[in-house]
Amino acid sequence: MSRILIDPGIVDAPPKRARGSWIRDVLRERPSAAVGAALLGVFVLIAIFAPLLEPYGTHEQVGPVFGPPSSSHWLGLDDGGIDMVSLLIEGTRISLTVGFAAALVATFIGGGVGIVAGYFGGWTDVILMRITDYFLVVPDVPLMIVVAAIWGPSLFHIIVVIGILLWTTTARIIRAQVKSVRERVYVKRARSLGAGNVRVIFRHVLPQVAPLMIANVVLAIAVAIFDETALAFLGLGDPTSTSWGTIIEHAFLRTAMSRGAWWAIVPPGICVALVVMGCYLVGQAIEDALNPRLRVAHLSVRTFRLRPLAGRGEEAL
Amino acid sequence: MKRAVVRVVVLVLVASACTGSGAGGGGGGDGGPVFLKIAASDFIDSMNPYVGQNDDSYSAYQYIYPYLNQLDSSLNYVPDFATSWEHSDDQLTWTFHLVEGAKWSDGQPLTSKDVTFTYNTDIKYQDGPTGGAAGSIAHLIKVTAPDDHTVVFHYSQPVPTVLANVQQNAILPEHIWGQYATGDGKALKTFPNLPADGQPVVSGGPFMVTQFKPDEVALFERNPNYYGTAAQIDGFALQLFSNEDAEITAIQNGQLDAIESVPVTSVTTLQDAGIKVFIGPGLTERDFIINSNPDKTVHRELLNPLVKQAFEYAIDRAKIVETAWLGYAQPATTVVPPATGAWHDPTVQPLPFDLAKANALLDQAGYQKGSDGMRVADGHPMAYDVLFPGSERGAGDRAFQIIQGDFEQIGVKLTQRPMGGGAVFSTMTADNYTKWDLAMWNWTPPIDPDFVLSVLTCGQYGDWSDSGYCNPAYDKLYAEQGKELDPQKRQQIVYQMQKMVAEDRPYIMLTYGQTIDAWSPNWTGFVQSVQGLFPFLSKESLTSVHPA
Amino acid sequence: MRGIDYVAKRTAFALITIFVAITLNFVLFRALPGDAVSDLARVPRATPELKAALTKEFGLDKPLAEQYLLYLQQLAHFNLGISYVNQQPVWINLRTALGNTIPMVLLGTIFAVVLGILTGVVSAWRRGTALDHISTNLAIAFYAVPTQWLGLVLIIVFAKYLPTYGRTSISFGSLSTWAHIKDVLVHMLMPSTTLALTLYGEYTLIVRSAMLETLGEDYVLTARAKGLSGWAVVRQHALRNAMLPTVTLMALSLGYIVAGAILVEAVFSWPGIGRAVYESVFNNDYPMLQGAFLILTLSVVLFNFVADLLYFRLDPRITV
Repeated sequence: MSRILIDPGIVDAPPKRARGSWIRDVLRERPSAAVGAALLGVFVLIAIFAPLLEPYGTHEQVGPVFGPPSSSHWLGLDDGGIDMVSLLIEGTRISLTVGFAAALVATFIGGGVGIVAGYFGGWTDVILMRITDYFLVVPDVPLMIVVAAIWGPSLFHIIVVIGILLWTTTARIIRAQVKSVRERVYVKRARSLGAGNVRVIFRHVLPQVAPLMIANVVLAIAVAIFDETALAFLGLGDPTSTSWGTIIEHAFLRTAMSRGAWWAIVPPGICVALVVMGCYLVGQAIEDALNPRLRVAHLSVRTFRLRPLAGRGEEAL
Repeated sequence: MKRAVVRVVVLVLVASACTGSGAGGGGGGDGGPVFLKIAASDFIDSMNPYVGQNDDSYSAYQYIYPYLNQLDSSLNYVPDFATSWEHSDDQLTWTFHLVEGAKWSDGQPLTSKDVTFTYNTDIKYQDGPTGGAAGSIAHLIKVTAPDDHTVVFHYSQPVPTVLANVQQNAILPEHIWGQYATGDGKALKTFPNLPADGQPVVSGGPFMVTQFKPDEVALFERNPNYYGTAAQIDGFALQLFSNEDAEITAIQNGQLDAIESVPVTSVTTLQDAGIKVFIGPGLTERDFIINSNPDKTVHRELLNPLVKQAFEYAIDRAKIVETAWLGYAQPATTVVPPATGAWHDPTVQPLPFDLAKANALLDQAGYQKGSDGMRVADGHPMAYDVLFPGSERGAGDRAFQIIQGDFEQIGVKLTQRPMGGGAVFSTMTADNYTKWDLAMWNWTPPIDPDFVLSVLTCGQYGDWSDSGYCNPAYDKLYAEQGKELDPQKRQQIVYQMQKMVAEDRPYIMLTYGQTIDAWSPNWTGFVQSVQGLFPFLSKESLTSVHPA
Repeated sequence: MRGIDYVAKRTAFALITIFVAITLNFVLFRALPGDAVSDLARVPRATPELKAALTKEFGLDKPLAEQYLLYLQQLAHFNLGISYVNQQPVWINLRTALGNTIPMVLLGTIFAVVLGILTGVVSAWRRGTALDHISTNLAIAFYAVPTQWLGLVLIIVFAKYLPTYGRTSISFGSLSTWAHIKDVLVHMLMPSTTLALTLYGEYTLIVRSAMLETLGEDYVLTARAKGLSGWAVVRQHALRNAMLPTVTLMALSLGYIVAGAILVEAVFSWPGIGRAVYESVFNNDYPMLQGAFLILTLSVVLFNFVADLLYFRLDPRITV
């Protein structure tokens, strides 16, 4: 007699979806997502292949201070006589790394808190959400300034601070989604068949929440990159690294604009804008496609927060 | 409701637009009052002379308060409120003769009573609220006033820097400040000393402060009761800019008349726009600091004279001047800058930039290069953090990169460690100067060399020392110059001290900054100095300026 | 009953959050690494006597719990400490700064809302057309650029026409109140506009999606069938539907924008609380930094509370 293992997950499983079909949903709903994805893709490639792409060294003086664009230096030179194109490519790597790392930290913490709160409910939920609420009211930029001032400026600190502040909204959004998934029949059946909580979470809840978490990571990357440029501008960035933020800050300190050296300051700003736009288009499209009714998160790069819009207080998602 | 809001907003916008553009207002033309608008570099942090520490604060006090003397553009001490002075043979008693019949801006008499009040209050509270003035009243027992226009300074021992000391002390009105000099004197520091009830701050100098908005703008108007030569302008305004680009565009558009501390990257921009730019020697000097605490526990190879010499050979001062300062700096030699005049020792020669020599010296010291190109000393690689305070940002970053690149060629790895100024200092003094190796910083010393020489003494540990340097022979010389009354002899001692510092290398002096000011061609008459057009050396500059 | 219940709950929540924020502020500044005493002296080279005096004055030699109580006590009296830079009460310094920031931020938000509504309506009305795409993407583009960068670019472009620094022109002699207000407003234009340009995208998207939702609703179709012009329909129904999220967003944002105004104030030399935060860092003026941080956090709590109340008031779905 052979034993037939019934996988509890098969019972009343959600309709099987072809891999990546939710991507197709996204593209159908918002074609602009393709543009966003393309933008991001280009920058990610640049970041990965940075050392191969840089025409000159990022510490090499190859001409006069603030040299204008020429055929050998398409975007001119900065205040140290260093090639701007090389700086921008290097900056892509640093900025995207910071953005990605901070977003990952935020999503891990936020996702974790959200899943636990949404799944277990009850007191766990209440306590976790209260903690989240309190974190929500701490204004980001001042906190980042305080931490950088007290602990010293370094990329690591920046990533930690940004990550620590961004998780709150992720937690809320994920929690709302988990709550609705939890009520689905197949999950209930799985639990009644005796599957452990961890197993249910990983096999059933997580896959349903994953796209939302991805959307969140993408949006968080935008906020993180934005925050990093703000910190760098205020002199609290890491001057030993070349990020778009520090490029702008150097140009600002050395009065590039009034000197007419627009090439030292305009390109990095445009790069930031393109990446943030790309992240936004992709992230928002994923959210919209997944659950158009949810209309939950709203990217607030300006107020440096991902904030829930639908409902307030306890009803807030 | 929303429509109403929109309507109001539109109205406001239209109204604002109709009031005209530009930040003009006040200032010259049409026969109206003549005012000068200056962009400040760091602005006035406090109107209270016991509190303020920014250069602009000192300059403000210079223009609104009487001082006994001042420094002319040749760096000689000339009269201000004291018309003449003499001292006893033993130099323990100095007598200053004051201007007679002087008045404060509110009409009250300005007499010797105010001088004695100021100095005796400083003496009385020197361990507390007036501690900042302690340097200028060293060895002063008391000040007496035999009559309304004479004061006598009584010293406990001869002080060679009396004239320099009194140049730094603003004389305050006793009828305003007297009430705060009671009890523990704490009130002396909390009195804001701001215009109140429409009345300007009571002043004795050529100008009085009529408006003061913290971190924004300070307005100075001519004091009709000034005892000296009246200013030719009706007043001036000092405005804080947090953005140098804005300053430059403002002066180009005629919204500003003068800028103190022009950034080096803007010099050609301004010259091309027809703005007058003055470039002259300045007092700020930048240094590369090597922790020279003889008792330090780790990285003792940095105390090796061969290593220090090698470091100096590896620093390309010319390139730093060129790239970081765009040529607007001088390669530095000794710790007392040439802008101090006769105190700078011109015979001290720096080591030239020579990487081969540097490498040879390090080889000679026995610190061989490893396979990765980095030298090893006492079992550890020669890799060090360089403490980097926020004040060095901008040009300093470039200077550091140049040094870092060259040090790589001699097998030493440098890592920049940026921190706030307070944090740098805490790190330096932690555990008695044992927790750091290298740093980059700057000094802007007064003209008299006493202060900048003092920071290298053993006694300044935990206080002003940022090098951990402690050399009894040096301290002995310092004490001698502090007592030597003959200026020639004193100069010789000061020269000797500079040679000692150049040999021992707690500092490798990098560059001497230049004073760069700019003003619109509509004005003339500024008196330039090593502190720019708004100095705290004398009252000359802004009392001489007038429309061109 | 439900209404009072809700208000009471939100009030309690706000109060507790305030308390937590105050405690967080204390922890952040007293219990952090770094030598608090040598951080105290503004010129970091404080004499040992000065350090001892400061330690005593701020009770840094007392146990943390006692310091905490002392801190709460001082707060109750609006005592936020003394600024190291000018020896004046922190509260006085900040009050002025806050008073400078709020009008500028308010004006910027109003501009953003107006611009957002206009572009959102246009985009929704002409959904799917090139106008819609351009409008929406332009909104997102402005949204995406770094604030300080946009400010710098605007300075170069408008320096000849508008004041780009400071809050007032220099005037020797006192201006009439009206002239003074005009002066301040003119100076406010650049920073507020920069802020507005970077904010309006959010409102565009909200208004657009809210309107799209309503425009498809039955009652709208009914209204049109009844003969109401397209524009009247928009005005009466769709726009009103967009008001709830717009107003909520506005109230929610204000708290955070006050904090985020740091960048705009740094670029335009605007003497507000943002710049005060920035400068107190470089001056090692820890009492000012601590006070500013507390005030910013509290303002966020306050505005969030206002948003809660507004939401309750405006949401047609909540029945009392």
